[in-house]
This record gives sequence, structure tokens and C-alpha cells, in this order.
Amino acid sequence: MLPLEEILKKLHDAVVGFDEAGAAQAARLLIEGGYDPLEGIMHGLSTGMDTVGALFKQQEYFVPEVLLCAEAMNAGMEVLRPHLQASSTRTLGTIILGTVQGDVHDIGKNIVKMMLEIGGFDVHDLGNNVPHKRFAEELARTDADLVGVSAMMTTTMMGMRSLIGMVKETKPHVGVLIGGAPVTREIAKMFNADGYADSAADVVGEAKRVMAAVKSA
Amino acid sequence: MKPKERFLRRLKGQDVDKVPAGCTTAYGVVDLMKRCGCERPLADVDPACMAGLSMAGHTIAGFDWVKAMGWDITAVSEALGCTLGEPAIDSQYYIASHPFAQSIENLECPRDLLSRGRFPAYREQFRLLKEKVGNDLVIFGMSEGPFTCAANLVGTDRMMRATIKEPTFVEKALDVTAEALIQVIRFAFSNGADYFCMADPTSGGDLLSPKSWERIVSPVIRRIVNAVDGPIVLHICGNIDKIIPSMCETGIVGISLEEKTDLKAAIETARARGVRVFGNVAAASTLFMGTEEDCYREAMAALESGVDFLAPGCGIAPNSPLENVLQLRRARDDFHQDKQAGRPESS
Repeated sequence: MLPLEEILKKLHDAVVGFDEAGAAQAARLLIEGGYDPLEGIMHGLSTGMDTVGALFKQQEYFVPEVLLCAEAMNAGMEVLRPHLQASSTRTLGTIILGTVQGDVHDIGKNIVKMMLEIGGFDVHDLGNNVPHKRFAEELARTDADLVGVSAMMTTTMMGMRSLIGMVKETKPHVGVLIGGAPVTREIAKMFNADGYADSAADVVGEAKRVMAAVKSA
Repeated sequence: MKPKERFLRRLKGQDVDKVPAGCTTAYGVVDLMKRCGCERPLADVDPACMAGLSMAGHTIAGFDWVKAMGWDITAVSEALGCTLGEPAIDSQYYIASHPFAQSIENLECPRDLLSRGRFPAYREQFRLLKEKVGNDLVIFGMSEGPFTCAANLVGTDRMMRATIKEPTFVEKALDVTAEALIQVIRFAFSNGADYFCMADPTSGGDLLSPKSWERIVSPVIRRIVNAVDGPIVLHICGNIDKIIPSMCETGIVGISLEEKTDLKAAIETARARGVRVFGNVAAASTLFMGTEEDCYREAMAALESGVDFLAPGCGIAPNSPLENVLQLRRARDDFHQDKQAGRPESS
């Protein structure tokens, strides 16, 4: 039986090397060894994605690499998930995520979703081209802490402003994060957003910051 | 010097009296549509209405050259099978489906490509524009580039993964889109375009690595450029610092870039390779969201950096105020007046 540290390293390396079969195999080794599956997720797969996030930020990895790393992580997760205790799946908070109405570009949003899930958030993904009404319905239905919206085009970006207005009116304690190619920190401020991430690699830190800020407000 | 002569001389790197100022991307601006009476959705499909908005770019917005072939970058993808979302006056066509997401077995460049979608209307728009501008103004055609077109057909997510795991898939998809683009660009030149701008945002530095760009996109651009008989400008959004040398080795005559790219470095790299630079007033944060002063200042900064053609960094957002757009022309005129008067350029 391999020591835990060695298996965790295998999980990490399989994610970073976008090796789906390797991630699944390492996950099986972990289960067969009688180790805690949560350890494998937190200190193997997640740390692998942390490395991927850092490589993405350093422009060593780009979107294709990140997508393939996520596939490897999911392959490992699929093996580990059935073995998790229900009590071990605590989350940091709940975030409703979507691309603003009229905008179908969701590749960045999907990477953000993955980063948030790895970071410990429960993500309710509404997809792309999401009408304000859908966000309102999901807000009413859930006890979400945050709303995350992205836009890829200047033409659709303006929709974020009215969406933020709607969220603040109905649920003032819910924090809103925005991002996407045309969005800048200045625009986020102008739109009255609580948070902004320049890159998917920064989104978990920003979500945690906004969570703390709105909770203490 | 007539605007056309100025433009063409500048494109060849010859001396001109003023830096040409205009737009090498889309300018479907609502203010402009309302002023000239040529509004979407007709301005997307009706040749006379399209030509009317094209001309308003010169007569109202003060651009030195005019655009043919619509106000978005979806026409080739549409002709190859993508369905589009409905446009509105302030919202351009967008890709609503990726018809080859499951399989590209049936993906091919159809014989009747140029009879499909908006191409018949573009043919008539070119004729009307030529009638109006004669030999005074440059007309350019524009479409999506080969990588963006392929990503539209198969889905960006699929295309991205395939760049690493499925090289034959990528090759096949790009083979079809390159063939389609060669037809489209030849069509544009034979109908009166003086140059053609390909916009390939999906291949940009925010998505693909410079190595992937060099390995996958560069050969396709080179193939297209070699197969057509006219000058090509390549527009890519985002930060493209690292791919500018590769872009400049494809045979294109110009690159169009936005504010996220280092303009001075780009000019230096491009000039050394005989390539001209268009840009780079920020379309979102300045032309759309900024004040007139912001627009003027940024345009002046681009001129002082030595940009060859003063232009927005990307397609002008529909709700951008016309007064903001007009600052390009104003800054250019002031820049040259100051120069003639011997005043410092930044005053």
C-alpha cells in the first residue's frame, strides 16, 4: 500500500498534467488504501487545481490546458465522491452564477464555476444568456450569499448594472461579483458591484473577501 | 491628399500629410444609426441601409475610410451553418448554435457559400458604396477569422480542448474555415474592397497560448493571405503582446489591437517587419464609458506613440456616444495642427 503523501502527489500531478486516467487511478488507490476521500479532494485534486490556477495566472497555462486539467480533476472526483461522508461536504457559501442576458460566451464563466467549486463554494450555475428574472427566481428560491455575473461584450455589459440594482433592491445582504473581458475594476465600482476579479485565478479570494464584507455589514 | 491616397500610402509605409483616422472594426453605433436614418435590423441586411450606415461613418463620424459587410463578425459562420440570435438596434447578431459540436464529419465549405446568408446583400452594398465613394475613400471588408469561425461551428470549449488532444479535428475544422475565408476575401476584393480585416478574437492571448497560436493559427492565416490578392489586416482583442511577432510573419500588412496590448512595443515589432499598426482607443472603458476628454486624451496618446492608423481598439459598442467617437478625428486634426505650429504634441 502506498503512503498517503505519495497518493496525494499522484492526484496533484495527474490534475496538473491533465491525465484523466491517472487521476482516476490515483483516486482508486486512495480508496483501496482506506484513506479519507476528503483528504484526496482537499490535498490532492484541489491543490492540483491551485497549481493550475497559479500556472494560469503566470500565463504558463491557458484556457485549453485549464479545461483539460478540470477534466482530470473531475475524473478523480467521480471516483472519490461516492465514498464521502455527507457531513464532510460543508461549503463556504452559496453563489448563483450566470452570464448576463444577451451574452452567450460562457467559457470564462465555466472556469470561474470550477474554481469556486474547488474553493469550497456551492455553485448554482444558471448558464449563459440568463434573464434578470431567472436570477431573481433563484435568489428567492435559495439562501445564496453571492451572485456572480459575467459579460464578454461591451454590448451586454450594461445589463449587469440593472441586474446589480435588482439584487441590491431585493436582497441587500447578497454580494455581487462581476467579471469578463470588457469589465474593469472601475466599471465594477461604477455599477455598484461588491467584487471584481480580473482573472478566474483570483475569483475564490475575491468571493471570500466579499462574503466577509457583506456578512459584517 | 485625398483620404484614399493617404490611406494607401500609409499602408505601404510611405509619407503622408496626416495619420488616417477611422475604424477598422465594426461601427454599428446607435447614435450614428439615428442620425443617418439607417438603423438595425435593416442596417444588417438591407444593402442600401447598410451602405447608408457605412457612409455615415465618414460623413458624420469623420472616419477617413468606410466599412462594408455588416456590423458583426458572424457572417461566415452563418453561411457555414450557425444559427444567429436576433439583433436589436443596440445589439448585434450573435452565434446562437454550434451545429458541429457533436461531429465535424459533415462540415464542408459549400459551393454556394457566397449565395448564402448575407453575402448577396454584401455584394449589392459594395456596388452602392463604390458608386458613392468613387476613388476618394478606401472601402474595407471584414469577417471573423478562421479560428473564431471554427470555434463558432464546433463550440469554443470543444475547440479549446481539441487544440491539445485532437489535432486532426482542429486541422479539419480550420481547413474548412480557411477555404471559406479565401472565398469570402476574394469576393470582397473582386467587389471593390481595398483591404480586408479578419477579426480572430477567439485565438487571442486570453485564450490560446502563444505557442498554440504559432503552431495552429499562424499557418492558417499564412495560407489565407497567400491565396488572396489584396492586403489583409488582422485584428485580435485582448493582450496580444506575445503573438505580435508571429502575427507579423504571416504576410499580413497590418495588425489591429486594443489597449491591453503594449502599443509602443507593438509598433516597434511590427515596423521592423514592414507591418502597420491600427489602434488603440479603448472601446469599452473609453469610447463607451468614458468622457469626451478621455477619448481625446487616449487618441492623442496613440498618435504620440506613433500609431500608423488611429482607430478604436475593438468594435465600437452600439451605445457609445457619437461625441466620444468624434474625438478620434478631433485629436488627429489637432495633433497635426500642433505639429505644423511647432507646439509640443502633448499640449
